[in-house]
Amino acid sequence: MGYVELKNINKHFKNFHASKDINISIEKGRLVALLGPSGSGKTTILRMIAGLENPDSGEILIDGKVVNNVPGSERGIGFVFQNYALFRYMNVYDNIAFGLRVKKVPEAKIKERVTELISLIDCEGLEKRYPSQLSGGQRQRVAFARALAPNPQILLLDEPFAAIDAKVRLELRTWLREMITKLGITSIFVTHDQDEAIEVADEIIVTNEGRVEQSGNPQELYKNPATPFVARFIGNSVEVKNYEKFRYFEKCSGDSTAYLRPEFVSIFKKGESVQFANSAEEAVVEDIIFRGSNLEVRVRLHGNLISSIRSINDSEIKVGETVDVFIYRLYVVAGDEVVLATNTSLQDEDIVI
Amino acid sequence: MELRKENKVLKYFLITISFIFLGVFLILPLVYIVITALRDGISGYINAVSDEYAIKAALLTIQATAWAVIVNTIFGIAAAWLITKYSFKGKKLLSTFIDLPVTVSPIIAGLIYVLTFGRQSGLYPILDSYGIQIIFAVPGIVLATIFVTFPFISRELVPVLTAQGTDEEEAASLMGAGTFTIFRKVTFPHIKWALLYGVVLCTARAMGEFGAVSVLSGHLRGKTNTLPLYIELLYQGYDFTGAFAASSILVVLAVIVLILRLVIENKGNKELDLNK
Repeated sequence: MGYVELKNINKHFKNFHASKDINISIEKGRLVALLGPSGSGKTTILRMIAGLENPDSGEILIDGKVVNNVPGSERGIGFVFQNYALFRYMNVYDNIAFGLRVKKVPEAKIKERVTELISLIDCEGLEKRYPSQLSGGQRQRVAFARALAPNPQILLLDEPFAAIDAKVRLELRTWLREMITKLGITSIFVTHDQDEAIEVADEIIVTNEGRVEQSGNPQELYKNPATPFVARFIGNSVEVKNYEKFRYFEKCSGDSTAYLRPEFVSIFKKGESVQFANSAEEAVVEDIIFRGSNLEVRVRLHGNLISSIRSINDSEIKVGETVDVFIYRLYVVAGDEVVLATNTSLQDEDIVI
Repeated sequence: MELRKENKVLKYFLITISFIFLGVFLILPLVYIVITALRDGISGYINAVSDEYAIKAALLTIQATAWAVIVNTIFGIAAAWLITKYSFKGKKLLSTFIDLPVTVSPIIAGLIYVLTFGRQSGLYPILDSYGIQIIFAVPGIVLATIFVTFPFISRELVPVLTAQGTDEEEAASLMGAGTFTIFRKVTFPHIKWALLYGVVLCTARAMGEFGAVSVLSGHLRGKTNTLPLYIELLYQGYDFTGAFAASSILVVLAVIVLILRLVIENKGNKELDLNK
């Protein structure tokens, strides 16, 4: 049984059905991402766990106890808001101490705990600063410390990296993951960024239109998308309608569409590939995008614009050049079914993503 | 910057217009008040200002103003809090109605109360049986003053509270803080300067209120005459020295309020810079 469980949760905002029969189970000590596009209901789930919203029906359980009627402040949670919601008129010390002061902890103990947390988040010397005098990354860390101060059992984070610039975001992701792993606190964070979810979380819960589409560890989601939405959403998928025209692929059923990710495609300069010399198809390069550490090559194949990643160490390809394209596999979506179709010329070989 | 350089002529033209306008419509009349008040010499002025009825009128004005500020502060905070932190049916209607006193003529405001609490009203016998007199008495004046200054404080608070959002309050409440603690520690520091500013505006407006109070007062000298009403009374009686001397009291009060306003605005802005 999970440490945090949601059972058949429904939530409406006026006429908007924000949560539809949500069932989630999160084990103790896990770092879980709620991943989905905006408006998919992920923040609503987080706010219901925190007690900031009440579900219309269904049960929320923490540590085996139904907490629907327990106020948020008594659920043993720490919450990090999207814009941190630091108290603007209190300095860093008072911000972190707030939760302890409310609980009437003796001032000496508060001092001990706040000092400990400030050193944990590497913000020594900033105690007297106000939130406006901190950088985005520092604010994030102070918000994290403030949420942790009263020793919560569960940490909830709403889009924790959304308000930070790209460079610091990457550092903070690693930092946050390390911190949470070190503390062993059950954590749930909301994000719309799949890279973030895949990199930081042990487990991802994908939400869409108020439903949970799939949950599992990042590799599982990547390898075995359970629903058409996940197949489309995870990875930089390209939609391919006439995939049966690709060599060595057959139409699965009448009305089906395929999703192709760049990592399923290899592009070779003419004569470069020996392995796939006979099974590759010819296509013309339409666009090449320099991505710093690699190149994205786009080719037109049977009317579809297909992307693939090429290393900058490979021999140069130019726009307009005719190249060999080999497709390893693609996801075929027929109705509610997702099938992984593999290039039939590879049938006996085992390829690991 | 370029634009400003090119428009130097326009800049000075606008400065001239503004100063002439202020001079003619504001400074000149104020100077004229002082001159007329002192027309009969300093002793005449002192006599007029220390007149028993003048002092009573001034005290009544201060009394009505104090009530208006107290009532509207409480109501203003409550209404602004309600409008910005909760969502409920009829919220738009409520916030529109709060602004009503600004759009309605004060005379009408006065008449509304006469109709509500006067002899022809159904409430009158009940009030009368308890010995409560509202019309042509001090309570009426206080009511009228409260009515016209009704929106000033909440209108200052709503934008500040809206800009702040509810995150900080939610954060505090998740940590177990009670409503009062949240207000005192989180919300109040935000609205402090806006609230003071609203109080100042409310005070200024309350002191000068004429129309609504005039309808409800009954003009009993020394009893229900506020300073503006008293001034009018003297003026109608061709006692220019008295009228202008009494006016000068109001002017001094207004200047004090103006200076307070400046100080508050400055302090508030400085703190805003710090807490962006």
